[in-house]
Amino acid sequence: MSFENSSMTIGETRIIRTTSAFDCGGRCPLRLHVKDGRIIRVEGDDAQEPEQLRACLRCRAYRQEIYHPDRLKYPMKRVGSKGEGKFERISWDEALETIAGELKRVKGTYGNHSILLIGGGGYLGALHEGERALARLLSMFGGYTTNYGNVSSEGAVWAVMTQYGSVMVGHSREDLLNSKLIIMWGWDPARMISGTNTLYHLIRAKEAGARIICIDPRYHDSAVVLADQWIPIRPGTDTAMMVSMAYVMIKEGLHDQKFLDKYTVGFDKFRDYVLGVEDGVEKTPAWAEAITGVPALTIERLAREYATTKPAALMDCQGPARSAMGEQYNRCAMTLTAMTGNVGRRGGSAAGGLMGIPIGHMFRSSAIPGIRNPVEAGAPSVRGTLDLRLRLVRRVHTNRIFDAILKGKAGGYPADIKLAWCACGNPLNQFGNTNKGAQALRSLEFFIVSELFVTPTARFADILLPVTSAAERNDLTRPWPSGPYFTCVNKAIEPLGECKSDFDIACDLAEKLGFKDYNTLSEEEWLKSFVLNNPETSQHIKDYDKFRREGVHRVKLAEPIVAFKEQIEDLEKNPFTTPSGKIEIFSQRVADLKDPLCPPIPKYVSTWEDRNDPLIEKYPLQLLSPHPKNRVHSHLYKADWLREVEPHRAWINPVDAEPRGIKDGDEIYVFNDRGKLAIRAWLTERIMPGVICIFEGAWYNPDKEGIDRGGCANVLTNDAYSPGGASALNTALVQVSKA
Amino acid sequence: MQIGFYFDQTRCTGCSACAVACKDWHDLPAGPENWMRVQYTEKGKFPNVFVSYLVVPCYQCLDPTCIPACPTRAISKRDEDGIVVVDGRACLGNKECDVKCLKACPYNAPQFGPELGAKMSKCNFCLDRWSDNKLPVCVEACPTRALDGGPLDELKAKYGDIRAAEGFAYSNRTKPAIVLKLKRPKTTR
Repeated sequence: MSFENSSMTIGETRIIRTTSAFDCGGRCPLRLHVKDGRIIRVEGDDAQEPEQLRACLRCRAYRQEIYHPDRLKYPMKRVGSKGEGKFERISWDEALETIAGELKRVKGTYGNHSILLIGGGGYLGALHEGERALARLLSMFGGYTTNYGNVSSEGAVWAVMTQYGSVMVGHSREDLLNSKLIIMWGWDPARMISGTNTLYHLIRAKEAGARIICIDPRYHDSAVVLADQWIPIRPGTDTAMMVSMAYVMIKEGLHDQKFLDKYTVGFDKFRDYVLGVEDGVEKTPAWAEAITGVPALTIERLAREYATTKPAALMDCQGPARSAMGEQYNRCAMTLTAMTGNVGRRGGSAAGGLMGIPIGHMFRSSAIPGIRNPVEAGAPSVRGTLDLRLRLVRRVHTNRIFDAILKGKAGGYPADIKLAWCACGNPLNQFGNTNKGAQALRSLEFFIVSELFVTPTARFADILLPVTSAAERNDLTRPWPSGPYFTCVNKAIEPLGECKSDFDIACDLAEKLGFKDYNTLSEEEWLKSFVLNNPETSQHIKDYDKFRREGVHRVKLAEPIVAFKEQIEDLEKNPFTTPSGKIEIFSQRVADLKDPLCPPIPKYVSTWEDRNDPLIEKYPLQLLSPHPKNRVHSHLYKADWLREVEPHRAWINPVDAEPRGIKDGDEIYVFNDRGKLAIRAWLTERIMPGVICIFEGAWYNPDKEGIDRGGCANVLTNDAYSPGGASALNTALVQVSKA
Repeated sequence: MQIGFYFDQTRCTGCSACAVACKDWHDLPAGPENWMRVQYTEKGKFPNVFVSYLVVPCYQCLDPTCIPACPTRAISKRDEDGIVVVDGRACLGNKECDVKCLKACPYNAPQFGPELGAKMSKCNFCLDRWSDNKLPVCVEACPTRALDGGPLDELKAKYGDIRAAEGFAYSNRTKPAIVLKLKRPKTTR
């Protein structure tokens, strides 16, 4: 566009204040410019600083996803073979009749447990979210089997529930400015937005004089702007380094014994483990150096620096916990924060990886009322349990869904799955072992997918239902765990084609199935009732119309939110919500599980597919699959503006590339026994030798030989989970060759 | 008056929100027509690595060499704010004149679409926004607030008159209207 025609009459353009509903760690107010019923531009928040919540590149490309020519606009039925991706347009009536018929057939032939509902984070809104809408409907229909566990955060969730009995382990982000030392352990908020503006607050903290240390196998983009020191570490060994830091503190008397005595239980047992009293192995920095690749002297210095700089924020996250024994990393980080007395104090951190604060937290969002799932009737109570086995009596671990479909009851799973419905998710792409997943989806008798696009998962559908994007809906959204504010989605445009929201689809099907009381309210009545009846929003939002109009309600804090401040100030009055009322460095509940891979104190445990596994002879590189910067997982994959700013490439150190004859930009194969993918190599000194990095979320696209041309990292990952429930997606050994 | 940019290289993560926002605001397709580019520099060997980014819009030079290079005088510099603009109707297109403006520019600011005969387009400091008292969209899009824009004198007064950054060479010939905060390579870890 040249200058002459770049001006625009604002009079013809409506500005809609809204947010996206992506499964993104940020939630950013957007101003959508709508002209002639079409979004023509996206602007961000226009609040004055410092309140402004600034959107990242993803939402800047929002309209490219909404209007992408590949958007699914009509219901479809499969005409080719399963997975081939050949579909033919049908009417909504035919689609819903077919689905109703198949649901009845499967229920009648096999029973309700053979119906599997697979949800996902593809849309995080209160009303129009697919998993909840379908859960309510399928419960009315007699029940369904579903998955347990979040593929991203389960390790961290288990760890914080063990140690603190609470997921609200974060500080409001501006409190980072009170820290003198910030240790970012496996955390790259430049890519994985852990709260809008979090990276900006970190930059301000650095500029105000905080020292920042990044521990990570990669010199990531957060480290580029923040790190005073980068400590590269081998994947899966973080806990060993933390344990040896504890060793240094104990040996040199640097730990805060008074804090430990008053607020924790079980430090003596942890100390016995660290000093080798328990197992005869002293967890010295030299011991850790051999495991982690981090020089002993570096570990010693960091231990001293962390123990003597007050306040200091040890910021672990969820990435390193997405691995075998990943829970131990978060548990050990929390233990270090207690040893240094940084829990509950400004500028400190309780660690735990979730960074949640209690105002605006998505866990406290309202939702379509659930109905007890008859298939789960009589299952053991799982409330507050740390015993994953109890949670898997009637449910399937998220990372084992494909195995469960293939093996059923004979394989020890709770059901023989015959029909599956997937909404708001792309599990084939995003769960471990994609090739096994393809086999599983092919084996289903019937598969329904509600989607925006024909994703790799959707290619296997028998019936495809086109859903609206957040721009075509009204809803309430929340800023993940990172408030303190509330947001909503305001409809900017009419639904494209014949798209419907997940909730509206469930309503229409309910009618076909004869459930008159599935939905009793209008959209507006639902949304209003959510705001008025939710204990949080009813307290904070006094003017519903203003909230909807502005799209955001910010909560002004008199002082930063500090996790466990009340407990530290007055433990008697405000005990921790653990059985002991204290921080549990030793957990009797975990001891009672009697699982050697799930120790009651945090421990470093060598795992499958780490550098000690003999498999390393065949597959000598460790694979990392972190969150991409230009997608929300596999969402926004189609947006060309986002693709061109960062081509999909594998990070590989020249030390690993050159002996294999690989030059920068070469196409390479990355493979193991689970699969093989093709991707371009990016030679960089920013990744440690022995490690390769492929950002998750690129779409699986197998060729005739079964080589994934899309570069979907999960072709290589394992569909395994850790005893605390962490999906072990960052625990995978691979080999690389020039294509 | 002369407008200009400020770029704090120490804050840039290379996220490219500026580049995406630019494409959205100016409705530019994915492809080679990039009014805002983010340049990457990596130096050193593991684990002593230095990385920096540099934003490359049109720096709205004080003495733009693209203007005399253009055979049809399609490029001009506005008196009131120094924004360098192109008249797409007067431009001959990339084939006929062989991109003389691009060859004359030390920063490769003039941009062309992929098609034969594509007319030149480039960053115009979001002239429409500037006329509406708004900063360029790249400035407002930067999540780390690494960018600023406005009258060059004011930017110099606020941020200093630093004309150096990693990967950037100040052209004494064209005099780009930008002040910077330099990211210095670390000598040792």
